[in-house]
Formats: sequence, structure tokens, C-alpha cells
Amino acid sequence: MVSSRVIRNLKKEFRGSGLAKLGLALVVLITLTAVFAPFIAPHNPTDQQLDQSELPPIGFSETTERTTSQMVDGEIQTVTEEVEITADPDHVFGTDGLGRDMFSRVVYGARTSLVVGVLGTVLAASIGVPVGLLAGYHRGRVDDALMRIADVSLAFPSLVLAVALIGLWGRAAVDVPDPFVVAGLAPEMPESFVLPITVVIVVGLVNWVWFARVARGEALSLRGQEYVKASRALGADDNTIILRHILPNAITPIIVLGTVQVAAIILLESSLSFLGFSGTTLSWGFDIAQGRDYVSSGQWWIASIPGLAIMLSVIGINLLGDWLRDALDPGIEGEGGAA
Amino acid sequence: MSFGRFALKRSLQGIGVVWGVVTVVFALRFVTPGSAINAVAPLDASQETRQAIAAELGLDQPLYVQYGQYIFDLLRGDMGQSYIKGQEVTALVFSRLPATVELAVAASVVAIVLAIPLGVISATRRNEPVDYGATLLSLGGISTPNFWLGIMLILIFAVEFNIFNTSGRGVDVGDVALSVVNAEPFVGTLLTWLAYITLPAIALGTYFMALITRLTRSGMLDELSKGYVQAARAKGLPRTLIRYKHALRNTLIPVITVLGLQLGTLIGGAVITEAVFSWPGLGTLVIESINQRDWPALQGSLIVIGTSFVLVNILVDVVYAYLDPEVVND
Repeated sequence: MVSSRVIRNLKKEFRGSGLAKLGLALVVLITLTAVFAPFIAPHNPTDQQLDQSELPPIGFSETTERTTSQMVDGEIQTVTEEVEITADPDHVFGTDGLGRDMFSRVVYGARTSLVVGVLGTVLAASIGVPVGLLAGYHRGRVDDALMRIADVSLAFPSLVLAVALIGLWGRAAVDVPDPFVVAGLAPEMPESFVLPITVVIVVGLVNWVWFARVARGEALSLRGQEYVKASRALGADDNTIILRHILPNAITPIIVLGTVQVAAIILLESSLSFLGFSGTTLSWGFDIAQGRDYVSSGQWWIASIPGLAIMLSVIGINLLGDWLRDALDPGIEGEGGAA
Repeated sequence: MSFGRFALKRSLQGIGVVWGVVTVVFALRFVTPGSAINAVAPLDASQETRQAIAAELGLDQPLYVQYGQYIFDLLRGDMGQSYIKGQEVTALVFSRLPATVELAVAASVVAIVLAIPLGVISATRRNEPVDYGATLLSLGGISTPNFWLGIMLILIFAVEFNIFNTSGRGVDVGDVALSVVNAEPFVGTLLTWLAYITLPAIALGTYFMALITRLTRSGMLDELSKGYVQAARAKGLPRTLIRYKHALRNTLIPVITVLGLQLGTLIGGAVITEAVFSWPGLGTLVIESINQRDWPALQGSLIVIGTSFVLVNILVDVVYAYLDPEVVND
């Protein structure tokens, strides 16, 4: 499985590549942010403070027109004046239209993205890998059927299929208690993490086919190897052969694909949240959708900042994927997955 | 196997896949918790009304009858009636399709025109600043959500500089062509068309630009290290000729296959790009249909999207087999 040769290659590629270091740094940063969100976020990301809405990020100021009613010489008059809104050091990335702290929302958004990305990938792999291995190993009818299912599945764009399924099934979400808050370590933070479970299931169902294709290809090329034949001659049954001999040797390209898939699913999740198909309101895509309404009125940061967060996460994961691919197997094709 | 037999076999396979697509779309109706009747019937409808609606929609028939009827209707080009828009779904879908095709083609043109030279330059000047620049650009491109890119383009070019339109389609590409025939101001029509399509085309095309740049770069690096390139160099052929005629041609064949498979991503991307720019295409129809629980319109859109994917991929495979006859024997 993970031999010392593999580890040596990983280290060698890592030392030689600045991009691999950047990728690892970004992924570690985002993972830590997601895990320790209650301690990193300065405010509760869902707390609305309407008197502090639309504050620009640190270093920026905004001039807007504010219309107020005033008593002038005993009469009520509406007065329009230019007001300069300056940043509040308490809100590094500014606040959104409802006065929620953007920095805290970005921090908490990392949780949604990462959890959906990882769980969705695990689900897709746990459907796709067994199906692909069985089909590639046994060939014949099972394989033909799988390939046809894969063809049909590929004919629907991931996003379109996901939107259709969520539209039909509804947007279910599960409240998962936040252990840090339950333990009383960060009492002012949200008590639970809202897991958009339908999104996880749907992205798993939509993307399993990429894993099935890769696993099948590996099983097809491995089934004729000498050690597999030897094992069969010694009386090992098919399932044992698949588990002991095929899977460990097929794991490398599956891991590389898994990395790319986490990035692809993060992009897919953000698209779904943007279109309002998510089930959680604490997500980068959702915030971009909110911020879109403020683009023409000058509050550029509400839509921009969450998008930068998505971009940095996906860049980090893609760099990590490139590193793994170069180190583990230079022969693997790079562009699997769909956004 | 001859080329003709390969093309025939691939087409028959395609028909099988389209049949699968239709079956999946038909089945979608039955995984719905809110049945089709709820979408049409008023909330306070009596049991009789609901039964009448079910009978009218054919929902009281056994499943296999409904399925047979569905396939039969499809073969006649009948995809039913939209619940909400009161229009034939076939007419509705095909009225939206041209806008999506236009957007997808424009995005592909933006992508290909920029990506292929970028990929070639990147490969021929490996590890020079230009290569690093192209690598970073393509890394950013495959990592940027296209809807966000669209909003950023609106922010910069429409809100700040007020150059482009951000919503709707203006004129279609046919109007631009017709303006020549009708002696209308061609430049004016062309500019209007560009004002509407430029930003969505860039938003949608950037991911593919990045993807094609990466594929072209790695493919070119591969080809340039091969024996025939060295032979051509030893023969004294001009570098440009070797790069663009020999190496690039061999690079593009696998690139085209990957692009065929990524057509789904292109259509998926179009759905969300259309939502950002209120582009009146199939993507907006999909979202509208879901939000209004208009299942026939959704089913019709899905069938057309799935079928287009299958058709384009058959075309890609057949062209591939024509260019590279070895594929036929695989």
C-alpha cells in the first residue's frame, strides 16, 4: 500500500515544488479554520446588528447617500446627505446587509465547504470504488451494465442533475451540535453546525461515476497480473483477491482522484448554495448570492470576499492534488472530475 | 473494423444511452414527494378534482402504460404541456436552446482562442516567466467559481466602468447576420450583441480556457520530447512548423476527447452563468421549472441536455476515429 518508496517520492516532489508547499499550507489553514471556527471567529456569524450593517472592510471607506427626516423651522423635511462610512476595526472584512460580521461568516463557511467536500467525496468513493472494482475484475455483463450506467450518468451535467434531485427531494439539513460550544468553551457561538445532508447525498450520487471509471480501469489492468493469477491458483476467492490484491494496488489513482473531487465538490456545493439549493445559510455560495444584490449599490465586499475564500481553498486542494499525482504516479491523467 | 462500421456501432450505442437518459428522466417524476397532481391542483381541491386531474395527465394508468405512452409521445416530438407556462414543452425548450448554444459556443471560442497559444507558448518556454504566468492563470481559472467570476466582471466592467450590459440577451447572433442582408447598421447591431454576450462568455469560458491550457501544455511537452520531433529538427525544419503543424496536431486529438467529456461541465456552467446574467436559455428554464415544480418542462430540458451531450460525444468519437484510425480497432 503506502510503501517507503511512495513516501520518498512524496518528500522529493514536495521539496522541489514551491507550489506543493503553498497547496499544503492553504489546505492546513482552511482545515484548521473549519475545525476551530468558534475560537477564530470574533463574532457569532448569524448575529444581526442592523445599526452596523454594510460596513466596509478595514482600509476602505464608502460614501453613500443617506436620507433622513429632520425638523427644520417647525416643519418635517427630508434631507439627503452624503455620508462617509468608515471601517470598524472590530469587523476586519466589514459587515453584510444585515450587520453580520463577514470575517466570522467566512470562517464558518469553511466548515460547510470542507465538510460537504469531504463527506461528498467519501460517499462518491464508497459507491464508485466497489462498483468499479467488481465490474473491472469480473468483466462481462456486470461490466457492460456499469459502463452503460456510467454513460447515462455522464450525460447529465453534475450541477443540472444535482439541482433537479434537490428540487425534487427538498432541502433537508441536520443540526450537528458543535462540541466546543456544548463544552462551554465558546458560549456566544452558534450551538450547532447545519449540515446540508441532501447536498452531501446528491453530490455523492452525482459524482460516484468518476470513481467507478478509475477503479474499473485499475481492476482491468491488474486482474491479469501474475500475483493475482497465483493467488487464484492457490484457491483464494474473488472477494479476497479484490480486497487483498486489487484494491491496495489501485489505491493511488483513487486517492489522487479523491483530492480533485473534494475541490470539484466544493465548487459544486458553492454553486448549489448560490442558486438557493443548499439548506444552510452559512455557506460561501449563499453569501455570494446575498452580496450580488449589493453589487450595483457599491458594497462590493459582500460578494467578493467569500468568492476569494472559495478560490483559495480550491487552489490549495488542486495544488495538493497536482503534488500527489506527480509524486505517486506520473502516468495518471490529470483532469478527472467536474465542477 | 471499418470506419463505417465503427461509426454505426457508436451511433447505436448512443441510441441506447439516449434511451437510458429518457428512462432516468421518466423515473425522476416518481421519486418526488410532492406528486405532479399537487403542482397543478389548487390547494383546496376536492378528491374528485384531483382524480380528474390525474386522469387528464394519465397518472391513473399503470406505470408501464405511462412509460410506453411517454416514449411513444417523445418519438413524435411531444414532451407534454408545461404546467405553468401553458405551452408545449417541445416548443418551449427549443425556443430556449439557441440562446444556450450561442453562449456555450461563444465561451468555447473565448476559451480555445486564448488557451491553445497560451498552452503552446507555456510548453515551448518551459520554466520561463511566461510559463509560470500561464500556469498560475490556469490554476486560478480551474479554481474560480464561474458565478462569482461573473459577478466580479459585472462589478468591474458594468458597475465601475459601465461598458457592458449585465442582464438579458439584447439581440441574437442571427440578428447580427441579418443586419447585413437588411442593410441595417451592422456595426451597431454587432456592438449590441457584444455588449450582452461578452461578460457571460468570459465568465463561462474561463474554466475551459484554464483546462485547455493545462492539457495543451502537458500534451505539447509530451509530444516535443518524442522521436519524430527530434527527427524533424535534425532535418532542419523550421521550429514554428514543427511546433504548430506536427506537435500541436497530435496534442489536440486527446484534448478534443477530454473537451467532449467536459461538455457536461460546460452545460452545467451555462445553467449558473445564465442565472447570473439573466440569460434566457435552457439553464434559466431548468431553474424556473424546479422552482415552479413544472415537471414536464424540467423533464423536457433534461432530455434535450442529455441528448445533446450524447450526440456531441458520438461526433467527437467519430471524428477522432477518422483522424486516428487505430482507435477503430480498440
